[in-house]
Amino acid sequence: MHSYLISGLHVWSELELPGAIPEAFQAAAADVSIRRSPVPMALEGATARGPTWEMAGEIFLLRVPRLARFRITAGRDIAVEIEPGVSDHDAAGFVLGSAFGILLHQRGALALHGAAVAKDGRAVAICGASGAGKSTLAAALCRGGCAFVTDDICVVDLDASGRPLVLPDGRQLKLWQESIDRLDLAQLRGEGVRESIQKYYIDPSGARAQPSPLSAIYVLREQRPPLKSGIESLALPDAIRTLDYEAYRPVLRAKIGRKREMLTHAAMVLSHAKMFLLVRPRGFEHLQETVATVQVHWDALDR
Amino acid sequence: MTVPAGIIWLASFPKSGNTWFRIFLANLTAGESEPADINNLDERGGIASSRHEFEAATMLDSGLLSHDDIDCLRPRIYEAIATEAGKQRWIKVHDAYTATPGGEPLLGRKVARAAVYLVRDPRDVAVSLAYHNSTPIDQAIKHMNAADGAICRGSTGLAPQLRQKLMGWSGHVTSWLDQTDLPVHVIRYEDLVAAPASGFAGALKFAGRSAPQAEIERAIRHADFAELQRQESEKGFAERTSRNAPFFRSGRVGGWRNTLTAAQADAIEQCHAATMTRVGYVL
Repeated sequence: MHSYLISGLHVWSELELPGAIPEAFQAAAADVSIRRSPVPMALEGATARGPTWEMAGEIFLLRVPRLARFRITAGRDIAVEIEPGVSDHDAAGFVLGSAFGILLHQRGALALHGAAVAKDGRAVAICGASGAGKSTLAAALCRGGCAFVTDDICVVDLDASGRPLVLPDGRQLKLWQESIDRLDLAQLRGEGVRESIQKYYIDPSGARAQPSPLSAIYVLREQRPPLKSGIESLALPDAIRTLDYEAYRPVLRAKIGRKREMLTHAAMVLSHAKMFLLVRPRGFEHLQETVATVQVHWDALDR
Repeated sequence: MTVPAGIIWLASFPKSGNTWFRIFLANLTAGESEPADINNLDERGGIASSRHEFEAATMLDSGLLSHDDIDCLRPRIYEAIATEAGKQRWIKVHDAYTATPGGEPLLGRKVARAAVYLVRDPRDVAVSLAYHNSTPIDQAIKHMNAADGAICRGSTGLAPQLRQKLMGWSGHVTSWLDQTDLPVHVIRYEDLVAAPASGFAGALKFAGRSAPQAEIERAIRHADFAELQRQESEKGFAERTSRNAPFFRSGRVGGWRNTLTAAQADAIEQCHAATMTRVGYVL
């Protein structure tokens, strides 16, 4: 068995999860268990379905053709059936990504599709669509002295007084080879996320062990008309709508029926953390410019 | 008249008039007295190779899947889109007509109702493509002549869209014209430029959709090349990728005569003679 701390949860897993950071704890303290088990092709009594998934009450079935099937139950269990000839390593990327994201939704967590970094004990989240450049910007900010907090899925929890905290992720940063080359991070390159794909785990030096208060959420977009490069504050109604849209797989939230609860959660988060639209110029050659813009903006925010 | 539901592919090799056609449709649907904003089009059917739509529908990280695995799933996405839309939806597509690794048509009758296929003289396409990609013309020609050509096929980074097999210019045209699974209405870009009213009306009729002549003419005016250029020069255009040329650059028919060298025109004609003759381009 393997044990990890992922998005603030204690996870027991029969599957080794490359890219997750091991953490020792007592079996009784596990919040989530991941095990190998036969998983059906379909669910009985499914109430919602998509091309690769079905949902029946607290059970969610995810099918990755020619690779594996996952049954995610009640925010506690992930059953994994891997297709013959497929390595555990190839299936593990989907456990840490989609399956865990679905599980977090089942638990009612506010899970954003984004990365987070911290400085002087305060975190900022960077949300955006796949390919927007979240992980690359996070890596560049870490190279500039920030600590790495999370990549891909960013869980925002509330502390006892209702202030938003970003939970330590326990997953490493994932970067495409192109970004690794541009950022000159070859010496930190770890295992591949999948054997056939040139995307790799990067050792997040300075990973935080403690939840960090969230100062700001930046929604990252590539500059395309009518957007102009720079940082712009979002008014509350826009911020709530955007936060909903920037959730990890937002369709899920509506299907799982926790939309209302999420909006309340989002409103509480936004009463403490400000939300900004961050439009970056297109092209790697402008990355340092974007890093500097964020650093200056962030410094002004915390003063 | 009820418009039949389902997906209509608006298919073409890149730089063959697809965006013009979509802006015409958006203006027709909007029914306004002013031209639609090219950066905020109402009828945004999107592109079939949208990474965002793929991830939203599958709940999967497309960056963890191979291009072939993604192709196997794409027909399922279109089924879901067609079911959810419940009405006719035109979707832009640059893929050639191919089968998935599982042997199923990627864009076939099971998921779509029909296709409107736009074709343009490959010599004009070459010039337009070179500007669009900010590459030398020779490189654009090489791309158009490559029977195994594709876009967004990289493996070291995440391309903005899903991989699209183009199969070279001839491969693209013949893949769509020779398939027998889907009804296809072929329009030459040059004919649409010469007689837009009948060209657009013919495509609408094919799709089971009709509009008053005056409305078609209004939408044509609102999607006029000069209007598109005016808007782009004022506000830019979100779909521009070129570093040195606007998206709506020339749009002219036969502009290649002043741009391509004899050797370049020859390289295209040598490679595509049979298909060019088939669709009526004089060598």
